[in-house]
Amino acid sequence: MTPESIKNTEIKELGATLLHIGALLLSAGASTGRTRNTITRISDSFGYNTEFVINNRTLLLTLSDENNEYFFNSLKRSSPHGVNFTLLSGISHLSWEIVEDKLTINQINEQLAKLTALPHYERWIVLILVGLAGSSFCRVNGGEALDMLAVFIATFAGLFVRQEATRLRFNLYMCIYFGAFTASLIAGGAVKFGMGYTHEQAFATSVLFLIPGVPLINTFSDMIEGNLQNAIVRGMNGLIISFAIGLGLLTSMFIYQF
Amino acid sequence: MEWLLLLEKCIWFGLAATGFAVLFNVPVKNLPTIYLMGAAGGFTKVLTMHFGTNIVFGSLYGATVVGFLSIYFAHKRHSPPPVLAIPSVIPMIPGILAYRMIIGLTKLAGEIQPETYNQVLAETVNYGLKVMFILMCLAGGVAIPMLITRKESAKDLKFRRRN
Repeated sequence: MTPESIKNTEIKELGATLLHIGALLLSAGASTGRTRNTITRISDSFGYNTEFVINNRTLLLTLSDENNEYFFNSLKRSSPHGVNFTLLSGISHLSWEIVEDKLTINQINEQLAKLTALPHYERWIVLILVGLAGSSFCRVNGGEALDMLAVFIATFAGLFVRQEATRLRFNLYMCIYFGAFTASLIAGGAVKFGMGYTHEQAFATSVLFLIPGVPLINTFSDMIEGNLQNAIVRGMNGLIISFAIGLGLLTSMFIYQF
Repeated sequence: MEWLLLLEKCIWFGLAATGFAVLFNVPVKNLPTIYLMGAAGGFTKVLTMHFGTNIVFGSLYGATVVGFLSIYFAHKRHSPPPVLAIPSVIPMIPGILAYRMIIGLTKLAGEIQPETYNQVLAETVNYGLKVMFILMCLAGGVAIPMLITRKESAKDLKFRRRN
């Protein structure tokens, strides 16, 4: 192969890898600034100039070498958001390894394949711990032992329904609505028929496992860093999720006539 | 007795943070750290509010403590700070206030009774603004260590005296 074609292949492969990394970061729940820093860090270590646009779910990347002889230009859409902090910290490690150990593009791709194959927590562990988190919320907001039990059951069932809805490929906001409705239906039943032993706090905190924490916090960190367009899009997403939660609560309130 | 209640809340703040960490698929080795950070942030918030601080500033102080701890533990545990900080501040999200805001909004959208309308409107706006400001303070507080040191990455940031 001629030196030109080697250089040409390298810039194409690097570009594809960078877009893959960026898309993974965006869907794993990284803020815009973090995605930009990571991509720039990697491409700088290969000695290319990088310019890119980051949208909520799309990346547009242009790479060029220092003499402006070779170009790469492409666009990638990331998969729907599913927060995964194991992937986030893995990619952060990987980016520093690339800078310090001068990994080749093939090595980077191998490492990425390993990172994306890492397992999630077992489903029952997630259900139980998120249930406990829900009852902790209830306690922090002034609930008592029976309220906490009601919230635990409600959260467990709500998260289960939400996961099943996601598996059946319902619309994201519908999944959240189903989860909120199930959880508030159970907690609301406990409050309605609890003969005064369970309180309003149980009903209000039963849906808190659905709060869009990562979108909302990313909204404000993007806002602080000046990525206003992304901040607005993410904030809107968080708002619609909150609205879906509210709708689920209201349906239960309508059923129980609170 | 009050102090015991405050300390007891730490347990629950930490547990809530850990639950969300598992939901966000944080690596297992970071879970004890997140429990500790969630408890510390929650304790700061409850303590400052016990001494009469507004809930907004209480959340800001709590989030700031979490922010500084996240930089410290990021070096110790070799993890990016947001991975530790985001699950730790989530228990401070004001769920009850948001719930009351939503209820207020639906009351405003429903049948209007002129006698109570102004009161409901005032309460709803109050809760809504509190929720917004608290969220802003949580994100801002977590970012404070990076903002005041003007660094782009926590890797460059070490709380150590220069030689």
